[in-house]
Formats: sequence, structure tokens, C-alpha cells
Amino acid sequence: MASPIPGFHSCYLRIDLTTGAAQRVVLEEQFLRDHLGGSGLGVALLLKEGAAGVDPLSSAAAMAFVFSPLVGSPLTTSAKFAVVSKSPLTQRINDSLASSGFALAGKKTGHDAIVLTGKAPRPSILIIDDDQVRLESAADFLGLSTGETEHRLRERYGTEFQTATIGPAGERAVSYATISHDGRHAGRGGSGAVLGSKNIKALAVRGTHRPHWAEPSALVELARKFSEKSFGPATAKYRELGTASNLLTFNRLNVLPTRNFQQGSFAGAAAISPEELGVARERTRSSCAACTIGCEHLYGLKNGKGSVRLEYENLFALGPLCGIDDPEAVLEACRRCDDLGLDTISAGGTIAFAMECVERGLIDEPWLQFGDGAALLRALDLIATGEGIGRLMALGSRRMAHEIGHNSIDFAPQVKGLEIPGYDPRGLQTMALGFAVGSRGADHNRSGAYEVDFSEAVDRYHVGPESAHLAVETEDKAALMDSLILCKFLRGVFTDFFAESAEILRLVTGWDVTADELRQTARRIVTDKKRFNILAGWTPAEDTLPDRMLRQALPDDARAQLSPERLSALVRAYNLARGWSPEGWI
Amino acid sequence: MQVVVELFGIARARAGVAQTTAVGQCLGDVLADLAGRFPLLAESCIAGRTLRPGFTANLGGRRFVTAQETALTDGDTVLLLPLDGGG
Ligand code: SF4
Repeated sequence: MASPIPGFHSCYLRIDLTTGAAQRVVLEEQFLRDHLGGSGLGVALLLKEGAAGVDPLSSAAAMAFVFSPLVGSPLTTSAKFAVVSKSPLTQRINDSLASSGFALAGKKTGHDAIVLTGKAPRPSILIIDDDQVRLESAADFLGLSTGETEHRLRERYGTEFQTATIGPAGERAVSYATISHDGRHAGRGGSGAVLGSKNIKALAVRGTHRPHWAEPSALVELARKFSEKSFGPATAKYRELGTASNLLTFNRLNVLPTRNFQQGSFAGAAAISPEELGVARERTRSSCAACTIGCEHLYGLKNGKGSVRLEYENLFALGPLCGIDDPEAVLEACRRCDDLGLDTISAGGTIAFAMECVERGLIDEPWLQFGDGAALLRALDLIATGEGIGRLMALGSRRMAHEIGHNSIDFAPQVKGLEIPGYDPRGLQTMALGFAVGSRGADHNRSGAYEVDFSEAVDRYHVGPESAHLAVETEDKAALMDSLILCKFLRGVFTDFFAESAEILRLVTGWDVTADELRQTARRIVTDKKRFNILAGWTPAEDTLPDRMLRQALPDDARAQLSPERLSALVRAYNLARGWSPEGWI
Repeated sequence: MQVVVELFGIARARAGVAQTTAVGQCLGDVLADLAGRFPLLAESCIAGRTLRPGFTANLGGRRFVTAQETALTDGDTVLLLPLDGGG
């Protein structure tokens, strides 16, 4: 094999879990240049595997753990990996990102990606030690929380191995189960269920292969500049307060989804805000490996029960969305999701939906009431065990609505089956478009269109088709960041995002890459995701929002109103701006 | 002309208050007034009469504004907040 491209190993490891056979597959230079790493490379590999037409929980399904050209480099926030598969929640493409030592160790195995197919004969730990692959029994680990699994794996295999694990939710194939590493999660879309369905409780990876860089000295110098900038005002919010500080801002702007999107503001917001929690509780900070920002803020639970990471999305989904203003209940719910390996947004969204179904008399579970912290915790446990109403809730709000009937789908808080994050689309209408067209469903990480709404570029209550290109631009930027991979919280330090990204990639790989080329690459990646979805059965009718959001203004902000016609016009303009047919065919 | 100023996130942390009042005919006047009274806020969020990069203002929860000449009327509410809402 020709020597690898700088920044890459120019191959991936393909493991058939049914037989245990592992194969090293070459990645050609042009293929890498076209798809980079992370999400972009992952989607391309899944297309190659024909994964779109396969049940994601079947043994024939493929899933990919994908590193990136920047992993292992001195660039801040670059220790990240993507988990890419077809989602059991949406039946569409799913690319979830997580951070830290697993990315560094995984890339050091000497591969740019690890593709899993087949199904292990019994519950197993998958060990990848450079290019040596073996399966060991996971019998001792079954039923353990993500944290406990990681702890015991470290005891058994030593600290050189980095692990990615599922919790009880992944073992039971809950549709929104996560894969966890070091307390962080490849969270959305149910990649934990896909891994669980392959009988893999955890991967443990270790390696000795370091990639080289095309221009190491210049790269170190550029990395130093980015690190310096990362200490500046553009990231102060993340460093000092964390993303949870969005809560009071969103509440003031009436875009804080409350009681299953029945309101845009929450009377109890102050009680669970980080401003209040920071006064009453011990707060510590942490960060992913190779990060100079450190956005993670951990808050102490009462009675010496340790501390828990708190982010805006956890806080909104397990607080206001379920009508809960008891900080201890919200923090405990965050921790329980972490332990069980549950996506907090989908868990909170599905439980809030169930609470509204109870309110409307569609489900006979009188204990499941908005505002009841104990009910929230009980619901999370039931989801993980599949007992009682937990069986339905484990399916996510869309499938649950289909089972309940009575037009409950109209208020199920999802797009393409993925529960909507903490941005009410009626008051953030560029984001409404971003959610509607998102390839993995409603997703604030794949479309940063809320940034447009928080600017003078649009009137967030009356966004018109002329603004669709702004949604395209934020989606393209996200696609590139997720493929390079760099943390989204670094985006504020770029002055000219595509040009500076091109410079980074040039120093890493030696390619004469330009801003224009990276714009094309980003578009290719977005189109690849759409291609995957079309092969999986996508139709234009999917690019929409729940009926409630198209037909009812927010009761607490009458200006926040969309209509089916206005959203259709936005979607059509978006498709044309992408160069697709007006309906969205590529 | 007196306006109410509500502060969020880092702006609130720097000023040490959630809400205050300020005087001025336009956004630039109000920012200058705040900068004079809250030096730590100025250090992070305000450069003279304009917002520093990473921050924005909003009138009454509806319209986002950054131009210092943005006219204000008596009783307006100005929100000062971090620019990006991601999380
Ligand atoms: S900013 Fe936060 S999420 Fe991003 S790499 Fe750093 S610690 Fe991790």
C-alpha cells in the first residue's frame, strides 16, 4: 500500500461480528478528500455498505465509528469521533458525535474508521488492539450503567484502553439509546440500540499508530493561535456558564419549549437556571481531551450523591418540557439518562408527549403528570426496563403516537421521528426550516439556523423564502465541522470559516485545498445524507413539522405562528437553493 | 429617555445584576451609559458605544439590533445577550 496521506491512515477496519473476521480496507486519496472524516466519511462508508435499505437493528446493518484527519493533532477541540448508522428511531441517516480519549485511541489503532457488520453470537466486548481484534464475553457487564461498565472495563483492561459503552437502554434496544464514553454520549438517534442489537456491550480500543502531519511546525503555530482565541470572548459563555445559560434567554424570548411545546415560556425557569443552581450547589468544570474551552459544568446533587453534567438540552428536556421546576429532580433525571444510556432530548420529549396524552385522557397512567419530578424518574426507569408504559415510550414519540392513535401524532414533538430540541420553531422560523429539512430529523447540531434567527438578518417571526440560503449556509458549516471534526463551540473564533478550515486542512494533509473546495465538500456531504435517506424511503412529505406547530400560535406569544403554506414555501426555497428539485429530490 | 435593560448570560454575570435602567436616545447612548456604570460589563461586552463581537441586543424580545444609532423610545426594553444561542 502507498504511504498514507498525512492526517490519515488511508484505511478502515471492517469487522464482521458474526464471524469475528476483521479486514483492513484501503481508502483512496480522492475518496478521503471528497468526504474528509467524521460524518462525511461515515455516510460515504454506509452508502458503500448499502446500509440504507437494511433494518438498522438487523445483523445485516452496518455502523461506523469514524475518526477524522484532525484527531490527534494539536488543534483544540479536535478529539472527536462520529458514530454513523441508520437510525432505529427515524429509519433515516444518523450521525452522532462524541469526544475525547476514545477518538484519540481509536485513531491510534491505525484506522480512519471502524465499520461493524453482523452480530456477535453472544453479548460481547469488542477489543481492538492496533489491528488485533477479538470478542470477549460481556456476561459480567450486562445490566450495568454506562459509567459502571466503563469503570469495570478500565479495571479489567487497564487505562490504555479507551471504551465506548451502552447502558441498559442500549441492551434493550430503546430507540434512542446512546453510546457513552467518559460521561459523554453519541446521543441522538439511537446508535446505542444499533450497537446493542449487535450484541456489543462495549468497544475497547488501544493503538500505537500516530498519523503524521504535512506541515507540523506551521500546524503547531496555527493550533497555538486557535487555542489563544479560544480563551477569548467568543467562547466565554461556554467556559464560564455553560450552555445551560441559554435557559433564561430562551425563556425571555418565548422560545423555551414548555409542557410538550404547549408554551414558549416556563414560570419555573429561574429555579432551575444555572444562575440559581450555581448559588445553591457546588459547581465544577471539566472538558473533553484536547480542548481549551471546557464547556462542561457539573452540579452537585444533594446528600453526597455526586455531581452531574448539565447542558441546555438536558435541562430544557427534563425540566420545562416536562413542566418540572424542581432542580434536584432535573439533575437526578440527567444523571439517570447518563447511567441508563438514554438520549435526554428524546427521553424528555417522549415523556412530555406521554404526559400530554395522560392530560387528554388518551393514556390511563394517572401518575404521569406534568410537573411531577418523581413521575419523570419513574418514567425513565420504565423506558429502560420496557415495563408497563415504558414499552411504548421506548419507541419514541412518533411510533408511540401511531400506537395511541386519536390524531396524537399532531402533537408528538418530532420531525422524522427525532424529538425536537429546545428551540420552539414558531418563534425561530429559520430554525423551523432547519428542523423540517434535517436529514436526521429535528436537529440543532446539524442546522445552526437559530443563529440566523438571533440576528438582524431576519424577523424571526416572519421568515420568508428569501432567507432559505441562510439555513443552507449554517447546515453546510455544520457538515464541515462534523467531518473535519471540530467542536461547534469553537465556531465563534473563526473569522472566515471556510478559508480558515481550508488552511487547517492544508497544513494537516498537504492538499492544496481552498475555501471553495470545502464549500463543495460540505454540500456533497449534505447531499450524501439526502441520498441515503432517499434510498431508505424518504418522501417530500417528511420535511415538515408537527401539525400543532403549523396550526397553533404559541399561547404565550401570539406573534409566534407558522402555517403549512409558509413552511412549504420555505422548504421549497431551501431545496432550490441546494440545487435540488422543488420537492427535494437530488 | 429612560429604558429598561435586561441582561442575560455573561452580560448578567459581568454586570452583577439581572436588570437595570439606562438613559439615551439610541442604542449607542445606552451602551455608553452602561459601560460607564459597569466596568466589568464594558470589558467583555461593550466597546465604547457598540457591542463587542459575541454579543447582541434585542428590543422588547422581538427585534435583534446592533447598530449604535438604533433609535429608542421612552420605556423600551433592551435585552443584552450573548450572540450565539447554541447548546
Ligand atoms: S467546548 Fe465542550 S464539548 Fe467542545 S470539545 Fe470542549 S469540552 Fe468538549
